[in-house]
Amino acid sequence: MAALDSGSTAGTASNLFNIGSDRLALLGKHHKALMQGYLDGFIDETAFSEGALKKLIAARILWRPDEQQPLALRPLVSELIASMVADENRRQINADVAEKLEQIRNRVQAYRDAQYKGDYSVAELQLQRLTEHVHDLSGQFEEAIDSLWHRLNSDFGFVASLDDKIRENERAQKQLRRLLDGLDLLDFSELIELSEGNNHLRKLLVSQLQNQLSSHHSSLLEVQKRLVELLAKFRQQQARSLLISNMAAFLRQHPKYQPADYPNRSELPALFNHAAAIIPQAAIALDKASERQTLAELVHALPRAKPVNLHDSQSASFSSVWVDEEIAARQQALKTDVENFYLRVIDQGGKLSALSYLEQQALEWDSEIWLYQIIAEYQALPQDEKQMFAILRDEAPASAMNQLLLIRDISLQLKAA
Amino acid sequence: MLQHGPILERLLAGNFICQVSDEDAFRHLSNEQTQQDINHYLRPLNRRLVSNDDNSVFFLGYHELNKEAREQLSSQFSLTVQSLMPLLEWLQLVQETLGRDSALTAGDTIKLQEFVLRTEDNQSLRQRLNQLASDRFFNSQSEQLDNQVKLIFRRLKEHGYLLQPHHDRQYYVVTGKIDYLIDVIRFIRDEEQLPVEDTPNQEALL
Repeated sequence: MAALDSGSTAGTASNLFNIGSDRLALLGKHHKALMQGYLDGFIDETAFSEGALKKLIAARILWRPDEQQPLALRPLVSELIASMVADENRRQINADVAEKLEQIRNRVQAYRDAQYKGDYSVAELQLQRLTEHVHDLSGQFEEAIDSLWHRLNSDFGFVASLDDKIRENERAQKQLRRLLDGLDLLDFSELIELSEGNNHLRKLLVSQLQNQLSSHHSSLLEVQKRLVELLAKFRQQQARSLLISNMAAFLRQHPKYQPADYPNRSELPALFNHAAAIIPQAAIALDKASERQTLAELVHALPRAKPVNLHDSQSASFSSVWVDEEIAARQQALKTDVENFYLRVIDQGGKLSALSYLEQQALEWDSEIWLYQIIAEYQALPQDEKQMFAILRDEAPASAMNQLLLIRDISLQLKAA
Repeated sequence: MLQHGPILERLLAGNFICQVSDEDAFRHLSNEQTQQDINHYLRPLNRRLVSNDDNSVFFLGYHELNKEAREQLSSQFSLTVQSLMPLLEWLQLVQETLGRDSALTAGDTIKLQEFVLRTEDNQSLRQRLNQLASDRFFNSQSEQLDNQVKLIFRRLKEHGYLLQPHHDRQYYVVTGKIDYLIDVIRFIRDEEQLPVEDTPNQEALL
């Protein structure tokens, strides 16, 4: 390689430039059809003219893997697309470090030879190539690490089933191990030796490369740790799914199955020690004078029932309800007295007879009307409040011959809540 | 002890505390000192803090196993055993209906509407859901899919397996009590040496 003379190098370079740019333009010209080919795995030949197909084959973009096979993208082109769009299903990882190292050694040798001969333009060119190789080596790791992180961060979402995820994770771990093995091949004492006595080489091979590779190394270790964690999680999920479906199948087959009596074992398994609930109740402490202020505020804040005023609506009625104000007032008075009776029951807590209350309060109501009103009031209570009272009827048959029960008195009692 | 008041109240009420149901409380409970404090406080109530094997869920158990405690635990256990089948069936149904590749775990969200929509068009899922809803554990009287699903999710919420972050929004988060259930199943499986595998056999791997 050191024998290349500069004239022919320039000629090849311009020739290469023309061919390369033409072929790259081909990629751009047919971008949609080629991308479709990438997705389908083969090329739809009807989408191209015959001339275009020939050009694409000549440009080593398309090829026919087999006589019977349709045209397809060359693997390197697919790989380029996969890397550009981070398609983890098809992205390749190149873990081959030995080959790159070999190239670096050769280039260093060629560079030194050229320098020795005093052929500086060739030496310059060799140094340029060497730099590229070094960057390639680092870039190869960077690409691989990017791909690994990408897969990790998407939880291997590019494959559908858990089994596939586990397989993909294992594949990624193998790649990672190869990458780490590759890193181990790099022997820095050898690189130091190679670059001895040359500033350019030392900077390139030692300080720069070492820096990059050590950061790659720590990234790889981090990825490895995360991959192992994720695999453990996948395996746990898998175990859980299997446990659920197999246990369900078992119980379906053995509907009468009854496990042993764990709660009565002398050594109670902790899992089954789930105690009964205790719900702590609290009430207002009336004995604390310091809290009166707060209590008063609370009482003030209680919502007060406001009477709803319904406006009289004008409707086409032909008869108006005749209300005697005197009767209405008497009814109201009766209701109020009955309410007072209920309140007394609540205050007193014990059993209270309706008739003895009537007598005691010296109310003027007819005893029958009084009892009726108490029953009516009880029936009108909401369901939950009704349950708070026990209504006891003091009944007796009308006569020895007549089994009709007559109510003699009613007692009301507050039930324990 | 005052700062742990709300945690104690929830524990005493028989609740399970996990990272999903109450992150703060769970963090406190993971602290060994707090555990000791709480156990000390609970001692006169004959209660102590219990957790599952991997400490992902906390609840209260009895400190001393007297006769009443044993009786309570027995009835609790028979309820748990009764609920195994419907809960397992539900777990499978959700996994299949929502097309998930793994079983439900703590922190997963389920949108009720999505579940209903997917069940609606599938006769076999519909049939299985119908059967599940009429199980004693859920005890639905309704024939309507929407009501059945709502009831199932409400029951699971009451039992602490699900959490509804917004009262008026129909989506649910799976709590750590599911982990507890799986632990119970695994325990019974191991203890009784049931022929229930949870590792893929060699054929499946190939």
